[in-house]
Amino acid sequence: MNTEQRQAIAELIYRSCLALDAGDYKTFLALCTPDFRYTVSTYSPEIKREMVWLDHDRKGMETLFTGLPRHNSDHSPLSRHATVYTVEPDGTQAKVVSALQVFRTQLDGGNTELFAVGRFHDTVALDGGAPKLARRLVRLDTRQLGYGYHVPF
Amino acid sequence: MSKTEAQWNAAPKFPASHYVDSRLYTDPQIFAEEKEKLFKPAWIIACHESELPAAYDYRLFTHPAGVPLIIIRGEDEKVRAFYNICPHRGNTLLYDPSGNAKRVTCIFHQWSFDARGNCVQITREQEGYQQRFCKDDVGLREVKCEVAYGGFVWVNVLDDCVPLRDFIGGALDILEPFMQQPMEVFHFHKAHIHTNFKLWHDTNSEFYHDYMHYFNRITGMLQPGYFERKYTPFPNGHASVGSMQIQYDKYEGSKERAVGWPGLARGGWYMVDLFPGMTYNLRTSVIRIDTSIPLGPNDVLIEFRGLGLKTDSAEERAQRIFDHNMIWGPFGRNLHEDLLGVTGQGRALRQGTGSRWILHGREENNTIHDEVGMRHYYAEWSRRMGRPAYDPYREGKAEPVRAAA
Repeated sequence: MNTEQRQAIAELIYRSCLALDAGDYKTFLALCTPDFRYTVSTYSPEIKREMVWLDHDRKGMETLFTGLPRHNSDHSPLSRHATVYTVEPDGTQAKVVSALQVFRTQLDGGNTELFAVGRFHDTVALDGGAPKLARRLVRLDTRQLGYGYHVPF
Repeated sequence: MSKTEAQWNAAPKFPASHYVDSRLYTDPQIFAEEKEKLFKPAWIIACHESELPAAYDYRLFTHPAGVPLIIIRGEDEKVRAFYNICPHRGNTLLYDPSGNAKRVTCIFHQWSFDARGNCVQITREQEGYQQRFCKDDVGLREVKCEVAYGGFVWVNVLDDCVPLRDFIGGALDILEPFMQQPMEVFHFHKAHIHTNFKLWHDTNSEFYHDYMHYFNRITGMLQPGYFERKYTPFPNGHASVGSMQIQYDKYEGSKERAVGWPGLARGGWYMVDLFPGMTYNLRTSVIRIDTSIPLGPNDVLIEFRGLGLKTDSAEERAQRIFDHNMIWGPFGRNLHEDLLGVTGQGRALRQGTGSRWILHGREENNTIHDEVGMRHYYAEWSRRMGRPAYDPYREGKAEPVRAAA
């Protein structure tokens, strides 16, 4: 994998954060393959179990996004900070691990707080054209999310 | 018509049983009394037996009254509960929230205890204490502990407490047919919310706020049977909510639930609210349990558990987890709305905001939008606190003044 390919993959990860931060779900989904799958998981030391907190295919993500205006949600914007740690080519894909920090900024007064930390474990499709997200596993370290959030990380 | 200060502060035009003083949610003195008078005498869900599958497995739990507890399964399979406090120098005995400890050993001076609370080692015992003091003179402080009502581990920190059965008083009978098979916890998370614990229980005790939930409006409120769901009050402040058939397929992205619950009608949904701050919530394919741990007048830590059946296949379990997450996970449609709602109450009811009364005045023959669940709760609150909830600072406040609605 050359530097340009690696840079394009890193840019994909960063663009996915920018799109979600902006609430631009159409752009986010345009960065994903038709068979995209998105999962949030974490491990509970309390019950000693792996837990899945969200799991959707592309259609499920579309529905989640289009349904947002019908719900009462916290409107504080999120800032997703990703740092690409590793990119490992795997045939027509690349496995990408990125550090993730999510900050939430209150609308009233603009106070910013750290909301969650974890990692993106992404599978990026490289088969022609621009790289696209085929699989995103958000592996959370943070398990206390207060009143939660309606939009995925 | 808008109100002047005097009009805003005037008592509502309801019977005294149909509103409460908003200072119930902010007064530190009342909060301290609640821990003593409501939580200490209550049986509280500490965890589920599936969290302690093997001998010596333990879970830590901070009791709502403030006591740190170790819940541990002995080699005899019995589950017991002890203070997580070393009797030597008061150190915390176990630090990790779960684990397996054949010996509970304090890291400070290596005193050890077994799963029955016996002291089994005092380091350099003879040298330090000679014949004056020995292992038999110390032990862990044990508290009442029972596994019941679906395999949940209940604790009570008072030695002279009422039996668990008397405390429940038949409130969970409605769920007994659905809790005959072993269950298993698959979801656990805590939410620290800036609100009073009673406001969370209120939210679980009334369905009028379904107007906040698009999911519940479309799958429930607009469907047949919704307005026939009834509240049933039980002794000790508990209440249950009857079932209906939820139409899950009415919500885009949802569908009729593929996995049900043994004995429960298709789309069924029962709830039982237990005084002073726990809820059983059987919603078609999943049981959710809420346990509130009050941290301050405007702070509560809520433990959320999701359970399926121990016999679940991988596919069944995955479906239950999906169903759970759609509405009740940290990213779910309903839980976020509920928690946002009570956070807003916490914000508006803080001391100094000018809030004055909370209305519980809806009467609809005990059906789903009737506020009888809250009236029943605050009748018990008044009785136990010796303060009328509508006037908690009244002279001679010890008089129990309100009957259940």
